[in-house]
Amino acid sequence: MADSHDSSGNGSVDRRDFFKGAALGAAGLVVGGQRATAETPVLQPSVELPVASHDLSYAMPAQASSPAPARAAGQGRPASDFMVDVLKKIGFEYAAINPGSTFQGLHESFVNYGKNTAPELLTCLHEEAAVAMAHGYAKAAGKPMLVVVHGTVGLLHSSMALFQAWADRVPVVVIVGHHRNPSGVINRPHSAQDMGLLVRSFVKYDDEATTLERFAESAMRAYRIAMTPPMGPVVLTVAAELQESIVTTEPRIPELIMPAIPQGDAAAVREAARMLVAAQSPLIQIAKMGRTPKAWDLLIELSEALQAPVDVMGYSSWQKFPSWHPMYGNGGRGYTPDVTLGLEVTDMSAPARTARANGRKTISITSEYLFQGSNIHDFGRYSEVDLAIAADAEATLPALIEEIRKQTTPERKSAIAARGAKVAAAHKEVQLNAIRDARYGWDASPVSVPRIIAELGDQIAGDDWAIVSGHQFTGDWQRRLLNHDKPYRYNGDCGGFGIGYDTPASVGGALAHRKAGRLPVAIVGDGDLNFSPGVIWTAAHHKIPLLFVVHNNRAYHAEVMIIQRMAGVRGRGNENAHVGNVITDPNINYAQMAKAYGMYSEGPIENPKELAGAYQRALAKVRAGEPALIDVISQPR
Amino acid sequence: MTHRLALATLLLFVTTGTAGAQSQPEPAPLAAPTGNAQRGKVLYETTLRCYACHGFDGQTGSPRLVPMARAEDIFLAYVRKPATPGMPTFAATPEAELRDVYAYIRSIPQAAPPAENLPLLKGILDRRTKAN
Repeated sequence: MADSHDSSGNGSVDRRDFFKGAALGAAGLVVGGQRATAETPVLQPSVELPVASHDLSYAMPAQASSPAPARAAGQGRPASDFMVDVLKKIGFEYAAINPGSTFQGLHESFVNYGKNTAPELLTCLHEEAAVAMAHGYAKAAGKPMLVVVHGTVGLLHSSMALFQAWADRVPVVVIVGHHRNPSGVINRPHSAQDMGLLVRSFVKYDDEATTLERFAESAMRAYRIAMTPPMGPVVLTVAAELQESIVTTEPRIPELIMPAIPQGDAAAVREAARMLVAAQSPLIQIAKMGRTPKAWDLLIELSEALQAPVDVMGYSSWQKFPSWHPMYGNGGRGYTPDVTLGLEVTDMSAPARTARANGRKTISITSEYLFQGSNIHDFGRYSEVDLAIAADAEATLPALIEEIRKQTTPERKSAIAARGAKVAAAHKEVQLNAIRDARYGWDASPVSVPRIIAELGDQIAGDDWAIVSGHQFTGDWQRRLLNHDKPYRYNGDCGGFGIGYDTPASVGGALAHRKAGRLPVAIVGDGDLNFSPGVIWTAAHHKIPLLFVVHNNRAYHAEVMIIQRMAGVRGRGNENAHVGNVITDPNINYAQMAKAYGMYSEGPIENPKELAGAYQRALAKVRAGEPALIDVISQPR
Repeated sequence: MTHRLALATLLLFVTTGTAGAQSQPEPAPLAAPTGNAQRGKVLYETTLRCYACHGFDGQTGSPRLVPMARAEDIFLAYVRKPATPGMPTFAATPEAELRDVYAYIRSIPQAAPPAENLPLLKGILDRRTKAN
């Protein structure tokens, strides 16, 4: 209980003074069926705030002994209105929220002063979903979404998704409210001495804005830091007291000035070009590439200039390279790279080690050298490459390509062309065989994953489609069976290998594609969907067209296999490996779940012959501007 | 069984399991399984949960179990002490149960239709071929 005002002078708080004139906005607080009186005091939910000018680095507000005087019309305005002006200037289109009293000031300003436009509020049923939506949105839209969360509880809920955005190097801007001087049993746990500490290990920047001027500058700085490679999430703490204070004069809102993105050192780029042009079997590996659609074109230019295969690597990669391009692949059987170029690859330790042991070379161009966290070990091992260039890979590619062209003599050009023809032929054989492999289990029930995807591809062939979910558990069948010929066909994976990203991130990605009229589809696991199922209500409520295909294998199958292996290592039977890993008994009906959230749905489908019809009906809804869901009982992998 | 025959069978298994090409060789004729395929299906799907990696029908998942090229004794020796990382060991599983599982795997259709005979896949193959 707050006791900073001891009117009795005897070291104890006078109860009558303490409670007199408390501003109970809800016409009195009822506890245990009784209204508060002097004899039955209850804890105050909030203190009345002083009128403040913008340059008040405000002291602890005094306990009000009487209600604040009514404000004359035209005298100042809520500080949170100014904050909305700042956020509008930055240009946020959307703000994903799950409401909380610590940002009631900002919330009210968004919907009334800001007219719920730019940013438009997106109602989320869990803060993890809100941040994951922002994560998926940022990759598809090329710019961040704002997220606003409640103090401590909201930020903690969102922490998993913040970690994933961090690991994926994706910008998300989060504002978290709290009470600088909390009172009451509810407010105190929602406040913290150092709010940013809760998530500091996995955000690029965090700050608490203590004045409006600092809010304006910090918001601009936060956006700039989030969007400067290596990109990442940022958090800005704003006290409720500041939001709700009244502004009589306002600070200037600074301009948002973005820095020029660092490019590779000219001499180093020349050396990289020399090594690559001279190489007999170069390999390009890409991870967090690229920030913009321009990177797609640049990667194609680079690979074609060198006639070098492009290995899009695994789950942590953004995989922005056309999947049916002749250079898509690792070179084919027997291709041993003598120079490997890593572009935004966080950890090149393994290829570097192998290369050194065999007299080969590695080059790394990545912004990771410019900034890295330390607590979370997503940075991997130390990469002992031969040439390390601290720069944004996308920004460096134009100079690198130009150098490669300058240094490619006519003799090298024909040798490079001959290599390219061999690589293209090898890749084509691998890709065609991979497509043929889809025939196995074609008519199986439960339905095979390639069948799910092939049938989907057939139905969306005439659409400008975009897959907004990852491929962690679908064995890359999307990239084998569908021609990923545009940068937005695929939106990457979760970053931190945590389940629960795909479903909400898909909603964010779909939102980004809505303006362009694209057809977003998401293939999400049942395990993933259960982490934030409420986000499908968000999709329905905000009319975000998106087809969810639930890859429903009724288990966390990777973990079933892991426990089987562990039991085998320990010489125990496998009979119990499923305990704690399967999602059965009862089976969850995701079609019914979707209907409960107000979405069109079909399923569960166990017969692959029923897929085409279900897809047609569901896609009709999506094309008309609504989300839809199909539950497919699938093979484990 | 001699080591040479075992090695040949093992190599054949590895080859057929990884090639994925239309022109994979026919597996060598194997002796009839001794176990009970019906019991084996229950073990495969419920008790030992082989489906978790290999699919409910042995055709999906990784790696595929069909066509099964290992003779029964080779199969038993392998699953008791697998050389492949990631494959759990079934050293504690009774021999009779493993023979039942083998019988079930052998009862699964061992071949898949050519992709060219499946209109959807043929369409994808044609598009990929024409792409470049």
